[in-house]
Amino acid sequence: MSELLVVAIIAGERVAFRAADIQSVIELETITPVPYVPDFVAGIAALRSRPLTVIDCSRSLELPEARGTRPPQARMAVVIEQDRDLYALLVDAIEDVVAAESEAASPQACLGAGWERAAVGMVETADSAVLLVDPAALIAGPAQVAATRTLAGSATIAVPGARGEHYQ
Amino acid sequence: MDDLLADFMAETRDMMEALGEEVVAWEADPSARDRLDSIFRFVHTVKGNCGFFDLPRLARLSHAAEDALAAVRAEERQADRRLVDAVLAVIDRIGEMIEAMEQGEELPDEGDELLIRALEDSGEEDDFAPDVPDALVAASTGPGRAGASRRSVRLPVALLDRVMSGVSDMVLARNELSHRLRDAGFETSLGEPFDRLSATLTDLRDAIARMRMHRIDHLFVSFSRLVRDLSAELGKQVMIDFQGGDVELDREIMEMIRDPLVHIIRNAIDHGIETPAERRAAGKREIGMLLVAARQSGNQIRIFISDDGRGIDTDRLVEKAIAAGVITPKAAARLQPAERNMLIFEPGLSTAREVTAVSGRGVGMDVVRANIEKIGGTLSVYSTPGSDTRVMINLPLTLSIVPALTVSAGGQRFAFPRSIVEEIILVGSNENDLVVAGGKTFVTVRGERIGCIDLGGALGLPETPIAAGRSAVLARLVGGDPFILAVDHVFDHQDLVVKPIAPVIMQTGLYVGTSQIDDGSTILMLDLPTIGQRAGLVRGIDHRNMRRTDEREAEVQVRTTPVLIFVGLDGVRRAIGMNVVSRVEAVATGAVHVDGAASQVVIDDMILPLAGISGSESLGETLDLFRLDDGQSQLAYAIRQVVDTAAFQGELTTCDGREDIAGIALIDGVPVEIIDNLALFARYARVVAPKRPPVCRMPASDRWLQDFMRPLVEKAGYQVIDETDEAEADVAIALVDDTGEPSLRAARAILLRTTPEPATTGEGSIYRYDRAAVLAALRAANAAACAVSDGRSVA
Repeated sequence: MSELLVVAIIAGERVAFRAADIQSVIELETITPVPYVPDFVAGIAALRSRPLTVIDCSRSLELPEARGTRPPQARMAVVIEQDRDLYALLVDAIEDVVAAESEAASPQACLGAGWERAAVGMVETADSAVLLVDPAALIAGPAQVAATRTLAGSATIAVPGARGEHYQ
Repeated sequence: MDDLLADFMAETRDMMEALGEEVVAWEADPSARDRLDSIFRFVHTVKGNCGFFDLPRLARLSHAAEDALAAVRAEERQADRRLVDAVLAVIDRIGEMIEAMEQGEELPDEGDELLIRALEDSGEEDDFAPDVPDALVAASTGPGRAGASRRSVRLPVALLDRVMSGVSDMVLARNELSHRLRDAGFETSLGEPFDRLSATLTDLRDAIARMRMHRIDHLFVSFSRLVRDLSAELGKQVMIDFQGGDVELDREIMEMIRDPLVHIIRNAIDHGIETPAERRAAGKREIGMLLVAARQSGNQIRIFISDDGRGIDTDRLVEKAIAAGVITPKAAARLQPAERNMLIFEPGLSTAREVTAVSGRGVGMDVVRANIEKIGGTLSVYSTPGSDTRVMINLPLTLSIVPALTVSAGGQRFAFPRSIVEEIILVGSNENDLVVAGGKTFVTVRGERIGCIDLGGALGLPETPIAAGRSAVLARLVGGDPFILAVDHVFDHQDLVVKPIAPVIMQTGLYVGTSQIDDGSTILMLDLPTIGQRAGLVRGIDHRNMRRTDEREAEVQVRTTPVLIFVGLDGVRRAIGMNVVSRVEAVATGAVHVDGAASQVVIDDMILPLAGISGSESLGETLDLFRLDDGQSQLAYAIRQVVDTAAFQGELTTCDGREDIAGIALIDGVPVEIIDNLALFARYARVVAPKRPPVCRMPASDRWLQDFMRPLVEKAGYQVIDETDEAEADVAIALVDDTGEPSLRAARAILLRTTPEPATTGEGSIYRYDRAAVLAALRAANAAACAVSDGRSVA
């Protein structure tokens, strides 16, 4: 088992992403805030002229200690591509790239609500065990947001004759 | 080898596309030599290539067609209907084979023999075959060949996109470099090459953008054939006309609207246009007209498809929509006529009474709408039952580049499509005053009171109160309400490459996408209609039942008077209330009688008092004047020229001693005398009330009177009636003949005799060619009539 993991820090905790899922690791300079989006969406930025949606991981995980405390100016992010959109997942820091030494195993203890949703399992590394997270869950954000999205999505399809105003 | 084969297939397809129109034209006129030549060239090329690629079936077909056409070219054979149909069938089959090859499958080998046999000369002389005039053939061999070859390459759109985003990146890098150069304070030799690089890059960017564009002609050519085949199949006669083929459209959009357009055309031919017999019965030409027109307006492409068929049976449509559960009867009753038509784009509806092979299965039109809307287009349909159906499609010019306006609001920069922006205004300036009413802010733009919100506030950003001096953007949707967004700054116009962004952001509905502006920062492109709607400034289609009239009544009314600014004959700039001006006219100076305040002018058989003239002015051949009407009386006002219209409100500086001037106002910074309508009418309108023209009765049966006398009488200002008319006549004209007195009812009579000298008892009669005497009699009659109407005396 030699899968590579990228170890990052989110809200002070070490987590791991599968290196294969990650397009690149970048440092974001400017993030353009987007009004009226759920607060786990920090804004937008660009990576070589492709738009990036910036996800604030601690908010996406609803970590209580993250509330109200914005991460410092240096913005490290891992870039994930999903459905042809690029996302930048904001983390506190990138620690290392290590080889996984086990399959992801269910953690022995019950995790916090946000972590529960995003965690794939515990993975052993040479150093210590680390929680492997699913980037898709981070992108989806807190559960109620995901629910509203499906609801809103289906509503637009079901209403016959719902015509959006388009630019004329 | 595979590459070559792919090229061959692509080339053949291109040729077939280009051939579409030629084939139809050739069919209409089989003697057209240049058309025949292009078709011959096509099958010849295909045949040649087939040999090279070892495609025996294609080779046989094209060979047979080539032989047949060669015989026609050699004038050994006539291009009769049978031959034309057979050739067209072969061309179709070639197309099918190419398509099958591209899919990597084999087309079933049936019918090839039949097609080839159909091409063979049956030997019999076809009676219908038109003769080929030798002269025509000889004349048309030379020209008409041009334009066939065009250098082109085929590229996948994805590659173009890559090039495009590469160029965008270069632009960003260039901008960054430019900043760094400035920061480093280089005044060195770097400047010039950098500028050159910059300019080249700009050119390159434009060229790349154009690479995606394509003339819409390419789409249209395939329709000729479609229309021909369909109308033949359905036994209808349809002529298709194209307009605006030179309009350019994004290739991707073109591909995406191909099927929808085909469907609309099919529908028009199948359901819209009637059979020749039905059309005859309805009093129309047997040939149905189908018009496909494209037009570019701003960054929009409009495509119209109209037919002169039977129109949409909206009652049946509504009935079916209710039956299909698409709409409730209650909602149906509320629909506007245009919305009723739109029902044809709902899924599961079709008004065709019979299901035909072509359409009428109730699928399609809903897909049409979905496809158009998917690329950000809209469509609407209008129909006059019995006479026409018009479908109008609005499309964005390109999917990727949007001319945009960048602004800042709430401390952040945003962009929105320029197409929606009508103008940029300054709130609270003279012409755009600010009113707060009912908790909403309104700004007046050219007399129209328009709702206004702070864009920052609407986006949940720090709100800035709307106050005088702020910049604002007036946005208007087609067919929608205008609204105004106050912003912090308006930056500039930029063509932005707009990219879609993650669903979590798109689902807010507030954004269209994002873009990078020149300094490399990311900017959000706003969806203004949604923003306007959420702020309650736009009544969208879903809110139609909320239309309330009291909303407008609640607004504070500021009285503005629309006025017409003109220059009087004395050269002074004046304004007159638009509501009293019934029209502006030019009269011949001969119709003007100048006598100071008692001046008059003859217009439309009426003598009107003429104001605005003193008698000292020199008049040209014609005189411009206003016709003023207070509802009771009319008068004319002489002017030199009309300057403009304006909405005037506010203070008047009164000026004493001028009874016809209400005061002086400043309009656009120029002092203008405002005419006092009350004084004007009080002074002039007393003379003559608008009067009906005098009436003359003459027998309708007398040709001489009708042909010779009537023009003269009418020129004298009379209305001519005949003996059957019940109206009162001021004068009657009749010819004296042997039977004596005519019995025409009138206050007076003018009798005309046929001989110069009075015959027997012709006292009081006038010789019918004595023009002066007749006119004098008419004038006398008119004077008497005027006296009667003035009520002074009865003659």
